[in-house]
Amino acid sequence: MKGVSTVLITVSPEVTAQMRPPRALYPNGFKVGNSLGKPHMRELQLSVLRDALGLLAKNTRPGEIVTREYPDYGEYHEPPRTRKLV
Amino acid sequence: MTISRKCVPFTPFESSLAKSTVALVTAGGVHLRDQEGFNIADELGDLSFRVLPEDVDSQRLMVTHHHYDHTDADRDINVVFPIDVLRDLEAEGFIGGIAKKHIGYMGYTMQLKAMYEGTAREIANEIDKGSRADVVVLTGG
Repeated sequence: MKGVSTVLITVSPEVTAQMRPPRALYPNGFKVGNSLGKPHMRELQLSVLRDALGLLAKNTRPGEIVTREYPDYGEYHEPPRTRKLV
Repeated sequence: MTISRKCVPFTPFESSLAKSTVALVTAGGVHLRDQEGFNIADELGDLSFRVLPEDVDSQRLMVTHHHYDHTDADRDINVVFPIDVLRDLEAEGFIGGIAKKHIGYMGYTMQLKAMYEGTAREIANEIDKGSRADVVVLTGG
C-alpha cells in the first residue's frame, strides 16, 4: 500500500485531537450531525468541502486541526469535551 | 506493523486537486437502504462497514447510528456524507473525479483496538484496491 492522503472534517475537535489525524478541519460551532452544515444549504456545504480539500494543498502541520468560521451556519454549538480523569 | 502512538500517519499530497480522485469514508453510520443496517443493539458497537458505489443515489442512503442525532442527515445525507456536494465540485473542476467506491461505518465502538487494528485496516485496503482514490475525505457524524 502506497498510502492515501486524507483530510478529516470534525465537529468534535477536542476528541479528534486525541487521535492525531493527519489533517483536519473544524467548522467552528457546527453541532454533531452537521459536519458539512445544515440540510440543503448547498453553498455552505460546498464551502466546507472545498476548505477541507484545500488543506491538502496547504502546508499544515501533521496533527493540526484547522478552525474556520462559517457565519451562514447561523448557530453556535459547544463541541463535545473529552472526559477529564481525576 | 505497529503504529507508534506518538506518530501522526501523514501521507503528503503532491498532486493537484483538479487531477485527483476523491473517496468519502464516513463514521456516520451511512449505508444503502437495501444493505443490512448496523447493529445498534450491541452495546460494544458494530465493527463492520458498508461499501457504497460510485454512482450511489443519495436518496437511497440512510443512517443507522444511535450515538448522535441524525435527524438532519435523514433530511439531507450530505450533511455527513457529502456525495452530491462532491459531484458539484467535480462538475466545476475543483476535483478531478469521484472514486469508484466509498465507505460507511458506525463510528461508535467499545472495541477500540479491534476498530483500529482490524476495521480501519480493512477499510484502507478496500479503498486501496479498486477505488482509484488519490484522496480520502473522512467525516464523523
